[in-house]
Amino acid sequence: MQNSTAFKGGILPEMTPKRREAVVGYLFILPTYIGFVIFILYPLIESVRISFLEFSILRDSTYIGLENYARMLGDSRLRIVYMNTIIFTLFAVFFNAGVGLLLAVLLNRRLPTLMRNLYRSVFFFPVLVAHTYIAVIWRFLYQQDTGVINYYLSFLGIEAIPWLSNVHWAMAAIIIMDVWKNTGFAMLVFLAGLQSIPNEYYEAAQLDGANERQLFFRITIPLLSPTIFFILVIFMIGALQVFDTIIVLTAGGPGDATRSVVLYIWELAFRNFDMGYAAAVSMTLFAIILVLTALQFVISRRWVHYE
Amino acid sequence: MGRKSKRGISLGDVVSYSLLTVAAILVAMPLLWMFSTSLRPTSESYQLPPQWLPTQFRWENYLAPFDSSVPFVQLFANSMKITLAVTLGQLVTCSLAGYAFARLRFPGREFLFLLLLASLMIPGQVTIIPIFLLMRSLGLIDNHLAIILPGLISAFGVFLMRQFFKQMPQELFDAARVDGAGHIRSFLQIALPLAGPALATLGIITFNAIWNSYFLPLIFLNSWDNFTLPQGIALLTGYMGAGNPSVVMAAVTMAILPVLAVFIVAQRWIIEALTRAGIKG
Repeated sequence: MQNSTAFKGGILPEMTPKRREAVVGYLFILPTYIGFVIFILYPLIESVRISFLEFSILRDSTYIGLENYARMLGDSRLRIVYMNTIIFTLFAVFFNAGVGLLLAVLLNRRLPTLMRNLYRSVFFFPVLVAHTYIAVIWRFLYQQDTGVINYYLSFLGIEAIPWLSNVHWAMAAIIIMDVWKNTGFAMLVFLAGLQSIPNEYYEAAQLDGANERQLFFRITIPLLSPTIFFILVIFMIGALQVFDTIIVLTAGGPGDATRSVVLYIWELAFRNFDMGYAAAVSMTLFAIILVLTALQFVISRRWVHYE
Repeated sequence: MGRKSKRGISLGDVVSYSLLTVAAILVAMPLLWMFSTSLRPTSESYQLPPQWLPTQFRWENYLAPFDSSVPFVQLFANSMKITLAVTLGQLVTCSLAGYAFARLRFPGREFLFLLLLASLMIPGQVTIIPIFLLMRSLGLIDNHLAIILPGLISAFGVFLMRQFFKQMPQELFDAARVDGAGHIRSFLQIALPLAGPALATLGIITFNAIWNSYFLPLIFLNSWDNFTLPQGIALLTGYMGAGNPSVVMAAVTMAILPVLAVFIVAQRWIIEALTRAGIKG
């Protein structure tokens, strides 16, 4: 038996079964690990190194220590793109999670299953469509004179809004489109979270005379809090890296009004070939995302213990 | 909120029905506009009030992208090639690694798995500059391999497959061992055939992500012969002139069709998978 197994395995028949299992294990993870080392681990380390260099593919690179990092302090555009990214993140996260939660709560009420599934599909579908295509569509909808949105707003007595050409409205346009596209994902996760709350909790509370408001704030919200927290962090990490949404709709304009950190990094690295500085800027974003992920990890662990 | 056992329609039901319906209309409208505009004569594509349901059916708008100077068929083929290569590659690498991390014992297994999982925290823009330099030194700029190669592995995919293989009953594998099957045969003949749902899930998620991706093509590709569909359509908007939304919308509709088809066929899987991915935390 032992021998026949070994021969069927085909590799070094004299190995012990334990040894053989380990060899097969390493062979199986080898493709993934080759890719991991070449395309994640090495680039990460290299990126840290580059961030200490005056680096461009156009010239030889020189070691400049922390100069790239020092340069960030005086970079007024970096301040602007960080402000833009933070504003986008705050609003996008708030509305994506808020609208998603509202839709999930409504869908979780007494509804025919067919209707629930239909609405859920409609809300969710935009999540699957590329930002690029969405932005191409919305660029037409946002047109100042011929756009559908301003046409309907005119009935409310609102004058044509310069959605994409005004520094303030452009950011609003991006946030609205982003919420339209992504809130379906929050809705989906919230709905799953709501459906996992046992019905007995509500029944028991109703017997005690709790009204719907109390049910929502005393049962739903506390029991849903790990899911809410998870969605907030996931959306925050995503929003901090916003790129696709913006590049087709406004390309960061007008001026720098909607330029995000990642758009700035892309411009620095691949338009100006100022790669050392771009790498240093990317490190700041990486640090923020690491902190958020660690926070998510620690807090969600605590919650699991509480339940 | 609790589903109440009492019958009859309450005020709350009316309010929630109305809110849901309004929300569904708002979500559907841009896509309906896209579709109805794609079928309008180009001279009327800016007409207001907008039409939400197509009243005219100019299917020839759908032929226009093929006749234009934009190599639409080529763009479609490029996207399909990259997407299929990455998806198939990930199915192979992730199922192998997922199986090893779930069912094979070897020294350092937990550490190697956690290290891989930790890489999920690294945003793509942190690693992109060295990857670009690497591809450049390999002469792979404006080559689809520059996008395919980094896509062949996925820490998320390994995690997904590992979870699935872990849930399989041990008896299956014990029985196979008694019959003299080695690890490779157990994987190929027992684990893999049962992993259909997990493979479908990973396949769909990857297909969608790569089909839609824009960042990498934007960085690596720079000729019309190599552009992907999202790149082409983003350029099309400016290229074919903003005065021709009907044709642009016809192109966008065609680009979204594969996604819609996959969604209709595999909706249950997609929703389950994303929910599970979301809940896992």
